[in-house]
Amino acid sequence: MADQKLTIALAGNPNSGKTTLFNALTGSNQFVGNWPGVTVEKKEGRLKGNKDVLIEDLPGIYSLSPYTTEEVVSRNFLVDENPDAILNIVDGTNLERNLYLTTQLLELGIPVVVAVNMSDLVAKNGDKLDLKKLSAQLGVKAVEISALKGTGINEAAELAVEAAKSKKAAKPVAFAKDIEGALKEIEDLLAGVPEHLKRWFAVKVFERDDKLPENIAALAPKAEEIIKKIETAHDDDSESIITNERYEYIARTLKGTYGKKGAGELSTSDKIDQIVTNRWLALPIFALVMWLVYYVSVTTIGTFVTDWTNDGLFGDGYYLFGNGREEFTDAMNEYYAENVFTEEVVANVDKAVEAGITGAEDIQAAIADGDYEAFDEAYGFYGAELDEKADGAYSISEVVDTALGEDAELPANEDYGTWVPGVPVLVEGLLDAINCNDFVKSLVIDGIVGGVGAVLGFVPQMFVLFAFLAFLEACGYMARVAFVMDRIFRKFGLSGKSFIPVLIGTGCGVPGVMASRTIENERDRRMTIMTTTFIPCGAKLPIIALISSALFRKASWVAPSAYFLGMAAIIISGIILKKTKMFAGDPAPFVMELPAYHWPTVGNILRSMWERGWSFIKKAGSIILLSSIVIWLGSTFGWTDGAFGWNPDLELESSVLGAIGNGVKWIFAPLGFAEIKATIATVMGLVAKEEVVGVFGVLDFEGLTKLAGYSFLAFNLLCAPCFAAIGAIRREMNNAKWTWFAIGYQCVLAYAVAFVIYQIGSMFTGSGNIIGAVCAFAVVALVVWLLVRPYDEAKTLKTVKA
Amino acid sequence: MMPLIVADKGKEYKILKIGGNAEVRQHLADLGFVVGGSVCVISEAAGNLIVNVKESRVGIGKDLAMKIMI
Repeated sequence: MADQKLTIALAGNPNSGKTTLFNALTGSNQFVGNWPGVTVEKKEGRLKGNKDVLIEDLPGIYSLSPYTTEEVVSRNFLVDENPDAILNIVDGTNLERNLYLTTQLLELGIPVVVAVNMSDLVAKNGDKLDLKKLSAQLGVKAVEISALKGTGINEAAELAVEAAKSKKAAKPVAFAKDIEGALKEIEDLLAGVPEHLKRWFAVKVFERDDKLPENIAALAPKAEEIIKKIETAHDDDSESIITNERYEYIARTLKGTYGKKGAGELSTSDKIDQIVTNRWLALPIFALVMWLVYYVSVTTIGTFVTDWTNDGLFGDGYYLFGNGREEFTDAMNEYYAENVFTEEVVANVDKAVEAGITGAEDIQAAIADGDYEAFDEAYGFYGAELDEKADGAYSISEVVDTALGEDAELPANEDYGTWVPGVPVLVEGLLDAINCNDFVKSLVIDGIVGGVGAVLGFVPQMFVLFAFLAFLEACGYMARVAFVMDRIFRKFGLSGKSFIPVLIGTGCGVPGVMASRTIENERDRRMTIMTTTFIPCGAKLPIIALISSALFRKASWVAPSAYFLGMAAIIISGIILKKTKMFAGDPAPFVMELPAYHWPTVGNILRSMWERGWSFIKKAGSIILLSSIVIWLGSTFGWTDGAFGWNPDLELESSVLGAIGNGVKWIFAPLGFAEIKATIATVMGLVAKEEVVGVFGVLDFEGLTKLAGYSFLAFNLLCAPCFAAIGAIRREMNNAKWTWFAIGYQCVLAYAVAFVIYQIGSMFTGSGNIIGAVCAFAVVALVVWLLVRPYDEAKTLKTVKA
Repeated sequence: MMPLIVADKGKEYKILKIGGNAEVRQHLADLGFVVGGSVCVISEAAGNLIVNVKESRVGIGKDLAMKIMI
């Protein structure tokens, strides 16, 4: 018997501590996948210390009714797979509601063990629970556990294994006599149904469940008479009768086993809610929380770690624990003061400032501060400006080039502190050591390490953001955000639950799109999936930064305007789509359990952060790796002096990539950026948004005006997301037609927005043309019409009837 | 009989009737809203309510709050 394999299903309400219990039971022996046919997460794992026991984590559900996909998945598993036992976790602070699911689980003819969670909280609240009595009443073993602290878990697992081995099925709860009689009659009709499932199906037939298997659904009409009789007697529909019976049974069971103290008093969680969801304070508090999250993850910790990854790990190298950095900086500043900031340079820059040359002020300020890094940055951006204006009268490039050229004796990193060389340096050394040829070397360093490294640079920032989002979710605030935003989103045809995917989408669109699963209504879910990726994700931030610094001198309005644009696109799409036949109908009414606020464990936050971050790293390792190689091939193969071949120093214009860009760039002419690089960058953006920055050099904006640059930004922010997100859309839509519709809609909207921005903007700058402006106004008029036209007729009629 | 939306904060009421279509009614029942059960409004924000039902806190939209009669 010892080597017998057992399957134990873990079932419970959402927020009952099920995930924590599952993690504690299985440790790291987990496998995550999707249930067959649907995108509901499927987790299984081997029991710690007993590899023969498989723990199957069912989705968090309130009942086994067919209301949500999760419920259908769970009950199909329990009925079809027939696990050896069910371990039912119930939240001790909320027994009545949690036991409702238990009463349904008891009907499945499977051994059940009930684990009452958070007993420490129950004890603290002054509530008393007589476990022995509860166990006797339910007729199954009950055990007290604390999933968070890890107490009682082994005992629960042992009891579940014991129950599984005993094969002693749980007894269903007894309903009122007449209902029991009716159920018995229905059971007799169910010929061919396995004995242990008769009770379950009899109840489902009685409830007129619409997700019955065909053979049973065929028998259902015969039961109609029996059901009608009971319905008339109780003056209620059969489904409500059963629901009421269950709750009455629970009330009877808890009487005498569960003493609640201080009923009617507000808990701490309630007091927090009265402030956090207050009519006036809710939105300011939300804005403050989000500002804090982004301030910390994007500008402080995030930037620090991202800089280290980009310039250190995937750059030249870094000082271990900063040891030696200061000394090196001092040496560099000294070197610059002597060799770069010469009288000639200072004089030229001063002259340039007087002449009002763009960026000269930044260079002047850097020289005044004697800060070499600031100088490098300013010179990198604006050095060329100084060269070009007034026939090079202000040029400082000669001095700079000599001072920083290959022969110059700059302070070497290695001479100060503990210097660790970056990955590209190490890889190059390694390839040199094994005498690799130039082709492979360029492929590895420029193509693979450069391409993937540029992307991985954003990983730390994303991890910090994911950690914050995981904290907001785990502590209970995220559910309140959905609640608070619902009253605003409802005006635009979306539900408050659509806001959570958008919020997570600011980190990465892939988990954002996946977060749409909690939305029950299919229409609402589809609409959310289509619009979530409009919000700038972590990978779009560098594009915003690039345009903002290259064309707008880091104007502070550019980044917020990108978020505003994303939000506006979501809202406008919500209204427009809601008025089409496909999405007509009010969003499903808002009902959502708001879990009590609690401090999440560090382990749970790290786990969630890791799961989301890891999926991004996997993407970088697969799609981005491949596309990096393709870009590298496309940009290094081309025509040198009329002959086709490989040349690492090829100009973009003469490469294969350039030729392709040249061929399709006309598409973007009405948007103002019919330029090879902008075109290639946009196309590459479909693979991964990070590639947009990779294709562009900072100085390659000569062909673009500010307006065209902003139009480029708008298009890239709103158009179809990267491959990985498109993949996520495909999985969540579970339908190719809808996926194409979503992508098509996103691209058309992006094109229209960029077109309007460029054409109408051109009019104001005096460079517009009549045809373009007329078309742009026509687009605006069309959008306005789509916004204000009445809702779909079919729906209006229904409302009238209702 | 009055809709839940006009209930006083912090006072316990008995649910007398639940309207809406069968699907929504069942989902509400799964969450603990049953005729004869008690319900208490914790907080209100522009018509959306946070209520205490069977010791759990549930956020419900204004349109639903209109359909739950107390």
